[in-house]
Amino acid sequence: MANPPAAPVIEVENLSIRYGAVTAVEGVGFRAGKGEQLTLLGPSGCGKTSTMRAVAGLEKPSAGSIRIDGTVMFDADAGINVPAERRGLSMVFQSYAIWPHMTVFDNVAYGLRVRGESGATLKEKVHHALDLVKMTQFAGRNASALSGGQQQRVALARACAFPSSVILFDEPLSNLDAKLRAEMRIELRDLQRRLGVTALYVTHDLEEALAMSDRIVVMSHGHIEQNGTPADIYNHPRTAFVADFVGSSNLVSGTVLPGSGGDAIVVRTAAGTLLHGIALGRPVGAEATLSLRTVHLALSPARPAGEINVWPVTVRQSVFLGDLSQVHVGWGGQELVIRETGACRFAPGDAAFLSIAPEHCVLLEG
Amino acid sequence: MSATAPAHPAIAGPRLITGQGLAMALVIAVLAVFVLYPIYYLLQAAFDVGGADIRPPTAYGLDNFAALPKYQTVMLNTVMVALAATVMALVFGFVTAWILTRTNVPFAGALEQLMAVPYYVTPLLGALAWSLLGAPESGFINQLWRHFGGSEALIDITSPMGIAWVMALFEGSVAFVMISAVMTSMDPSLEEAAQMTGAGRWRTMLTITLPLVAPGVLGATIFVFAEMLGSFSAALVLGTPSRFYVITTAIYHFVSQYPPRLPLAAAMGVSLFAVMFVMLWLYRRIVMRKSYVTISGKAFRPRVMDVGWLRWLLFGVCVLYLVLSVLLPILTLLFASVQKLAVAFPKAANFTLDNFRQALALNAIKTAMTNSLLLGMITATLGVVFTGLLAWMIQRSRLPGRGVLEYIAMFPQAVPRLVFAFGMMWAWLVFPIPIYGTFWVLLIAYLTVFLPLGLRTISGVIMQLDRSLDECGQVSGASWGHRLRTITIPLLKPGLLAAWLLIFVASVRELGASILLMGPDSKVLTPAIVEAWFSSSSELTAAMALIQTAVIGVVLALFTSLTRRASRYGA
Repeated sequence: MANPPAAPVIEVENLSIRYGAVTAVEGVGFRAGKGEQLTLLGPSGCGKTSTMRAVAGLEKPSAGSIRIDGTVMFDADAGINVPAERRGLSMVFQSYAIWPHMTVFDNVAYGLRVRGESGATLKEKVHHALDLVKMTQFAGRNASALSGGQQQRVALARACAFPSSVILFDEPLSNLDAKLRAEMRIELRDLQRRLGVTALYVTHDLEEALAMSDRIVVMSHGHIEQNGTPADIYNHPRTAFVADFVGSSNLVSGTVLPGSGGDAIVVRTAAGTLLHGIALGRPVGAEATLSLRTVHLALSPARPAGEINVWPVTVRQSVFLGDLSQVHVGWGGQELVIRETGACRFAPGDAAFLSIAPEHCVLLEG
Repeated sequence: MSATAPAHPAIAGPRLITGQGLAMALVIAVLAVFVLYPIYYLLQAAFDVGGADIRPPTAYGLDNFAALPKYQTVMLNTVMVALAATVMALVFGFVTAWILTRTNVPFAGALEQLMAVPYYVTPLLGALAWSLLGAPESGFINQLWRHFGGSEALIDITSPMGIAWVMALFEGSVAFVMISAVMTSMDPSLEEAAQMTGAGRWRTMLTITLPLVAPGVLGATIFVFAEMLGSFSAALVLGTPSRFYVITTAIYHFVSQYPPRLPLAAAMGVSLFAVMFVMLWLYRRIVMRKSYVTISGKAFRPRVMDVGWLRWLLFGVCVLYLVLSVLLPILTLLFASVQKLAVAFPKAANFTLDNFRQALALNAIKTAMTNSLLLGMITATLGVVFTGLLAWMIQRSRLPGRGVLEYIAMFPQAVPRLVFAFGMMWAWLVFPIPIYGTFWVLLIAYLTVFLPLGLRTISGVIMQLDRSLDECGQVSGASWGHRLRTITIPLLKPGLLAAWLLIFVASVRELGASILLMGPDSKVLTPAIVEAWFSSSSELTAAMALIQTAVIGVVLALFTSLTRRASRYGA
């Protein structure tokens, strides 16, 4: 599912959203294919929620266009802005937005009743939706008497009770505790796959984005930093922002040595250390910054054989984090952070050999 | 379920006229006519220097304002009374707020509920009762004083300080609400942090607590002072018999004397309104400024100080305030109303129920009562619908200029009701449809002057509503009207009911606007009570005031019991 199919369900082009003098979103564009789950990922204030609300029709953009299933929903130039209630989407809100004055059944039935459903078919569809989230036994319960996790499930049932081509998820798991969040992540992904519905998902949680998405759009300060598959985003960050935000990363800068043609490049740091990396077809200038993931760096007591990037280093600090250990070493005039599984093998002052495969030293743009 | 089938319900081009748009246009139009039209006429009258009876004015100028310095005694009286009353009201409010929020006073919960009662007793009722208690000659307290060997009068409630005392008793409850809100919204960890650095209890109070609550208290001071400047009923009842005028009673005097001096009254009204406007603007600035750590939106459980045996003394202080502002006035009215001639010492021969019999039999009272109740119900019903729509537009729509709408709607708060009514009198006199002097002009007046009350109440509830509750309905495909019916109104129900009650009670007891606008065929109750006070016996007036209070109490009780089930949802 890495490549979007030919006919995209969501098409956002050159979208800009301004609030008075503040520009929240600038020139954002992306597409999501049928059945695809696309995630907008970024820190708070990056414009991801504004972008989703614009797709929903809850926010009026100042420029650009939005098409759903080929129908123009918003076009600033043509002056088209279809109101949210006529876009035929459904949405799961961050606060769940469960109506406290209705029962669970009435909450889920709302969209169906708006569409004129009633009687036995309504009942059947509501129960089917509640079945999907294992909440059937709560149908008669008052919505205000539900726990956070149950409200979350009802919100989900409500969003998929009536047919819609796109479901929007606005940080739906952020109010759940860590354990429940991990469970719901898998359940949600499973549900989305089963329904075959296109999903636009907003989150600031990296793990959530990596675990659930077919495609991730990383945003910062109102613009897109990178658009790619989870593996792509993780392994080949395009900018320093993505390298840093999507998992922890060491950034190394230096001058590019001539003659390192093709995709392989060699960089000399200010302290004179040589580092082999890859350019991924990105433009190579005189200076370069490479991203080295903390988990891709390896530390061993003896010199590993067959590595190009290998250096003797001294351990400065070592911290036990439970699943991981974090080791700080002095390297080429700076400090690098290494994360390895298991208990700490090194103590401060220990000598060791640091190595990394060149394909994990990724050239960043800009 | 086929979630894959696209289902866009009829997507057409942009609709030009929607239910939402229509409702909004209507609300804006009504708001403009109700609020701005009388203000325009008020200003016109104030700057009118043409012939006395020629309308529209033939010449404009500042002559009316130039004549104001001649009435500097009135201005001085107003400032003196307002200042004294503000200081007293703040002392009442601050002390009770501190006791109830920061000490372990017994029965704090019940006392806190009771602290709202003085506001409902109203300054008018208080003035009538305190006049019976503290008039220099006939006041019960002075009668007792002389009986036990005192000479002259112990207290004179008709003196400026007496008037200020009565005003302060009832505004104290407002000050309490404002100041206790500031005190409870303060994060206790700010004080705890000071203590952890080694500061003692008093040092913490002086260096942390007081500076943090100071802005809130300052805001309350300005608000209360502005209210005092525009206050009318206590000064009318207690001051006018001895020809002691404050600005509001002077305006009333100029309008109702013969021949009336309307331009002068208008100039006074405009000046008062200008001063109050500045004060309320200042108040808003202070309250709106979010930089105070105390205003954090989070509700904290403030730290309660253990004051030991002193708590019973503090309890007594709160009870004393309630006795002076509620219990004593009501009992006094009751005591006076069952006597032939109100005296301090009960005698069997003096006992009578005639006052009640007479009050209930008087035709004028019966129609006034019917009119008042009817007006109250219509005003409350229309007012809730109107201010509900307005609050929704201001809080939730993306309408450009909704901030201006809020300012216009809150405008009547800066204008004393008497002054506003003066503008209305002028405005509706020349209105092509003859409604002046009728029931309808009173309805319009009530709807206008209680706009801020309704708006504040409903806005408060809307602000607490999660925006996404409505947005979710919208994304589900429901139209504005449908969402209003199925989501918004059900969720707002408690707030709407509270607003209905507040507007109803305020309307039935309205004096300042009614006294100028009611016609011979549209009498309402409160002005009738004031009239009775000046022209018939105080015993009869006491009976009338009690009947009004009782009727309001009955309606309140009925309404709450009828709506109790409706206003609750969830388990």
